[in-house]
Amino acid sequence: MSSLAQFTQQKLQHKSILAMTHVVYGYPTVDESLAWMTRLLEEGVDFIEVQFPFSDPVADGPSIVAACHQALGQELNVDTCLTQLGALAKNFPESRIVLMSYLNPMYRFGLKKLAKRAAEENICGLILPDLPIEAAQEYRQACHDKGIDPIWLVTPATPKERLAMLAKQAEGFLYCVARSGVTGQSCHQNKTPNTELDSYLAEIKQHTNTPLGVGFGLRNKGQIDALLGKAEIAILGSALLDAYNQGGQDAGIKLIKSLFD
Amino acid sequence: MQSNNGFYGQFGGSYIPEILFASQQQILRAFEEAKQDPSFLAELNQQWQEFSGRPTPLTFCANLTEYFGGARIYLKREDLNHSGAHKMNNVIGQGLLVKRMGKKRVIAETGAGQHGIATALVAARLGLECTIYMGAKDIERQYPNVFWMKQLGAEVVPVTTGAQTLRDALDEALRDWSSSHEESHYLIGTSCGCAPFPEMVAFFQSVIGNEVREQSVAQFGKFPDRLYACVGGGSNACGLFLPFVNDKEVAMVGVEAGGKGLALGEHSIRLSHNLGAPGIAQGFATMFLQDDHGQLQETHSIAAGLDYVGVSPIIAHLAETKRIEMTYAMDQDVVNACTLLLKKEGIIPALESSHALAGAFKDAAKLGKDQHIVINLSGRGDKDIFNVAKAVEDDTFPAFLQSYLASYPIREQGE
Ligand SMILES: Cc1ncc(COP(=O)(O)O)c(C=O)c1O
Repeated sequence: MSSLAQFTQQKLQHKSILAMTHVVYGYPTVDESLAWMTRLLEEGVDFIEVQFPFSDPVADGPSIVAACHQALGQELNVDTCLTQLGALAKNFPESRIVLMSYLNPMYRFGLKKLAKRAAEENICGLILPDLPIEAAQEYRQACHDKGIDPIWLVTPATPKERLAMLAKQAEGFLYCVARSGVTGQSCHQNKTPNTELDSYLAEIKQHTNTPLGVGFGLRNKGQIDALLGKAEIAILGSALLDAYNQGGQDAGIKLIKSLFD
Repeated sequence: MQSNNGFYGQFGGSYIPEILFASQQQILRAFEEAKQDPSFLAELNQQWQEFSGRPTPLTFCANLTEYFGGARIYLKREDLNHSGAHKMNNVIGQGLLVKRMGKKRVIAETGAGQHGIATALVAARLGLECTIYMGAKDIERQYPNVFWMKQLGAEVVPVTTGAQTLRDALDEALRDWSSSHEESHYLIGTSCGCAPFPEMVAFFQSVIGNEVREQSVAQFGKFPDRLYACVGGGSNACGLFLPFVNDKEVAMVGVEAGGKGLALGEHSIRLSHNLGAPGIAQGFATMFLQDDHGQLQETHSIAAGLDYVGVSPIIAHLAETKRIEMTYAMDQDVVNACTLLLKKEGIIPALESSHALAGAFKDAAKLGKDQHIVINLSGRGDKDIFNVAKAVEDDTFPAFLQSYLASYPIREQGE
C-alpha cells in the first residue's frame, strides 16, 4: 500500500470521511495563497490539493478558471512552488499535500524532474487531469521511482471496462468525479444529467481497495453525508473558493466546519 | 495523411480529461466507419455539390501574372463555397457524422465567425441544435457574422475569459462538451484538437487539393509547382497540401500571421522562426506560443481566423520534416495584398486568405514564367469590410456608419 493510502486508512480510524481542500497557488497572490494553505493546515484539514495555474484549464468551471487567470498575472514558477509547499509539508506532518495542474506547465518543467522534486518536498501525489493513463508510461515510471502516487480520475461517463482498468491501477487514491462536466457551479451545469452516485461508487469499489476521493460540485452537508461509508475523501474545490471570495479565510473555514464537523 | 495512432511524429495524440474519453472513442469509431462507407461518401459529395456549390473553380489571374512578370498565378476559389469559406467542407462532413452518431446538438468555437456561420447553416439544414462559442473581442471584430449566426437559430455565447479570442472560445467549447457529451458533438473548425479531429478535418478539407490535382492537369497540363495557403489552425492548408504530399515536385508554403511584429503577443507565428515551442494543451501536442513556464500566450493578427495559439499537428509535423516551408506575412503586407487582388482581379479576399496572397506575391516575381503557382483563396472578404475600411483609412466609411446609425431606430431596453 502506498504511503498516501496508508495515511488515509490511519486517519479513517478516527474520522468518518477525510477532507481534501483545494487551493489555487498564487491566488490572489502567492503569499496570500500560502497563508491560506497554512490556515487550512492549522485547522487540521487532512489533504490540500494545490492547483498550479495553467492558462487554459479546460476541466475547470468559472470560479477556478478566474482564480487561475488572476494568479497568472504574476510570474509563477513550478520549482519555487514546490519549495514553498515543501516547507508547509514539513511543518504539518498530520496532513498531506498533493499537487494538481495541467500537463503543459508540468511537461515544460519536465515530468521526471517533477516527480523528483515532489518527492524531495514531501508532496505525495500528483494530479494531471489532461494526461490519459495510456499516454503516461514515462510519467508513471518516474513517479514509481520516487515513491510518488500518480492519481487518476474516473467519471460517470467512463465505460465500465475502463473503470475497472483505472480502478485496478489506482494508487494513493482514486479521484472519482461526481458528475459529468467541469468543476464548480457552471453555466454548463444544467446540461448534465444527474448521476447515480451510489451505484457508481459501488461499482468502483468492486475493483479496488484504494481509497476513493469524490469531487466536483460538492457544496452542502447533505452531499457529504451521502458519501459516508461509500468514499474515503470528500474534495472541496469551487465551493471553498467561492466562500473564500465572499468572506475570506474565515468564511472558508466556516464552510469546512459546517460540512465536516 | 494517416496518423500513427493519432500521432504525426511527435505531434497530435489525445490529451483530454477522462470525462471525454467515451465520446472521443465514439467519434473515432464513427469516422473510421464513415470514411469507408460508400453511402456516406456519396451523401457527402452530394451535399458538397448541391449545398455548397462544389467543385470550386481554379481561376487564372492574368493581370497579376503580368504585374509580377514571373510565375503564372492561379487561385483556388474556396471563397465561392456557400457561406464564403472553405470551412463549409468540414462542417458538412462532421454534420453528416453527427446525424450518423444520432446526436442532436452541435457545439462549435469560432474566431473570424466563418466556422460559426458554416456550423449554424449546416445545423439549420440538418435540424440540429447549435451553440457557438466566440471570444468577446472577436464578436466585436466580426459582428456581421454573429448577426447571421443568430438569425440562423444558433445560440452565440460570448467568451469573456482570458484574451477573449479563439483559444478561449475553444476552451469554453471543450467545457461545454464535457458537460453535454451524451447528446452533443463538438464540431471543431480546424484540424486541431484530440485525435481523430486533426485527421478527420483534414480528410474533409482534402477535397480542395483533390480538385486542384484534376483542375491543374486539365487547365495547364501538370501539377502546380508551388502551393500557398494561410495557416491559422491549419485546415485549409491541410486541405490543399495533403493530396500532394507525396508529389515531391510540388513545393508547399504555409503562411502564418506576422501581425504587428515578432514580439510575443503581437503575432501568431508558431512554426516559422522557431517562435513556438512543443507543448500539450487543448487536447493535443503541437507547437504552441508559450512562455518558459508553459503558459500559453496571447496572439495577434488582423485576421481573427489566424489568431490562434496552436496549430494543426499535421502541419507542425510537415514543417518539422521540412516537407512544407513556413513563412509569415505582416498585417500591413496583408492589407496591401488584399487591395492588390481587388484592383487587379476583381476578387474580394478574406484577410486570412490575404496572408497566403502576401506570401505568394513575395515570391511571384522571382519565379520563372514557366512556374505555375496555386494560392488557396480560403474565403471571401465581405466579413472584413469594417476592418479593411479602417486599414485602408477610407474616410467615407465612418461617415456612412454615422449616418446609418442616426437613421437606425433605437428601441428602449427590454422591448
Ligand atoms: C477565410 C478563412 N481562412 C482561413 C482560416 C483559418 O483557418 P485554417 O487555418 O484552419 O484554415 C479561417 C478561420 O476562421 C477563415 O475564416
